[in-house]
Amino acid sequence: MLIFAARRALTDIVNNKFLHIVSIVTIALSVFIVSAFSLFFNNATDFLDAWRKGVRIIAYMSNNVAEPQRTELMETIRNSSGVAAIEFISKDDAYNDLKEKIGQQSSLLDGLDKNPLPDSLEITLADSCRKLEDIEELSQNIGGLPYVADVEYAQKWLHRFNGIYNLFKVTGLVLVSIFFIATLLIIANTIRLTMYSRREEIEIIRIIGADEEFIKYPLFFEAVAQGFLGGVAGILMLYLAFVLTVPNFAPETVFSFFEIRFISVKFSLAIVLCSMMIGWVGCFFSIRKFLKL
Amino acid sequence: MYAVQGNNSIIRMFHVSKWYGKMVALSDVTLNVCQNEFIFVTGPSGAGKSTMIKLLYMGETVSSGSILVDGMNLARISKKQIPMLRRKFGVIFQDFKLIPTKTVFQNVSLVLEVAGFKPKEIYPLVMDVLERVGIEDRSEEFPPVLSGGEKQRVAIARAMVGTPKIVLADEPTGSLDPDSAAHIFQLLRSVHERGATVIIATHDQQMINNHHGRVVRLVKGRMA
Repeated sequence: MLIFAARRALTDIVNNKFLHIVSIVTIALSVFIVSAFSLFFNNATDFLDAWRKGVRIIAYMSNNVAEPQRTELMETIRNSSGVAAIEFISKDDAYNDLKEKIGQQSSLLDGLDKNPLPDSLEITLADSCRKLEDIEELSQNIGGLPYVADVEYAQKWLHRFNGIYNLFKVTGLVLVSIFFIATLLIIANTIRLTMYSRREEIEIIRIIGADEEFIKYPLFFEAVAQGFLGGVAGILMLYLAFVLTVPNFAPETVFSFFEIRFISVKFSLAIVLCSMMIGWVGCFFSIRKFLKL
Repeated sequence: MYAVQGNNSIIRMFHVSKWYGKMVALSDVTLNVCQNEFIFVTGPSGAGKSTMIKLLYMGETVSSGSILVDGMNLARISKKQIPMLRRKFGVIFQDFKLIPTKTVFQNVSLVLEVAGFKPKEIYPLVMDVLERVGIEDRSEEFPPVLSGGEKQRVAIARAMVGTPKIVLADEPTGSLDPDSAAHIFQLLRSVHERGATVIIATHDQQMINNHHGRVVRLVKGRMA
């Protein structure tokens, strides 16, 4: 029965090429738009995440801390929750680093009779310690330890960044949800219109003695096939656009910590499955009306 | 009276009425149709001819009264049994009701597909019936390119292919020229000769006068 229905559905698709192509293109464009938004927001979120991962805590040490005390301090910090790694930067290393960074203006430092920079500890945060509150708590704890003169973690910048990040995530979620709902409605309506245009055909098939299954199965098959083809075409269009545009805009040359990636295979499959399901649901609600006596 | 009595009845209508809101389409019609009868249902436009045809294949349901078709009481059959009832009929319409996106062959074969025939059984049966109506050479054409007479021959082929017990024709020659109409009528005669009961709703008085068959006359929904 199902094979027969699939065969009839395929014949109908071939016979109604124009109608099906219009439906598939409509679905493909809808899928393309919603996937493009997801792609953008996924990457934007990844970018912000990667940026936040770059946040480190710098603990400036008091003057003349002996090595045993420094080792003990580093051990204490390393064992704190939320710390992934710790590195000692001696005042001489910091001085040389600064001199290198300022380049031609390094002669300014020549006027100093001694190195004004303190020894410091550069603390890399663990993945579990990415929230602003956690970073604040950890830096306060570190600041309270002996031999630590001051702690810095780009507080002002991080506060602003946190606001932007949360706003971006909420906006992205809302926009993707709106586009997703719009896509649902467009696909369901496209399928409904396809069915509506075939109401006379359905009526004729009923007159010649077709039962509901005979009418329904090929229509469901067609609707699901439309959803599948539209979904796949939408994803392929996005991939093509991605491949053609991303090499021209390579943020990794600007931001070494970030690489733009296409939506995952899982997400693509979910979109195609979703598109097929919407086809099924759209067909379900449309033919219910036509199958009344 | 027009009712024919006998125990070989295939259709029985008892005091059948049909109304749409306040408009009465059929009123208190009682009719008995025997197997292999050839009947004309005639009357002016709006007399209830098409309504009577629709009630028989349950394109509409009766407002009162009851109908028996080949032992099935239409008032008592379930929704699932309606397709079985409809397979007893071959129905021909004035506007042909062919599916424009299916070829002539596909339009006709649909009846057999619905009845559960296998694809290898369908092909010879369809080609045979297309040959009988003289349209086998156009089996791969789509209905929009056919003439009115050709479309109606396809519709007759579709009505014949399942060898139904009853063929209903609602103004089958209404939109055809006289030559095509005569050909269509001959085809309906051949269906009758092969054993089917044929009921033709028509207001074509000339066709009725020229051919033998029982005449049921309706006027304003009542049998006259």
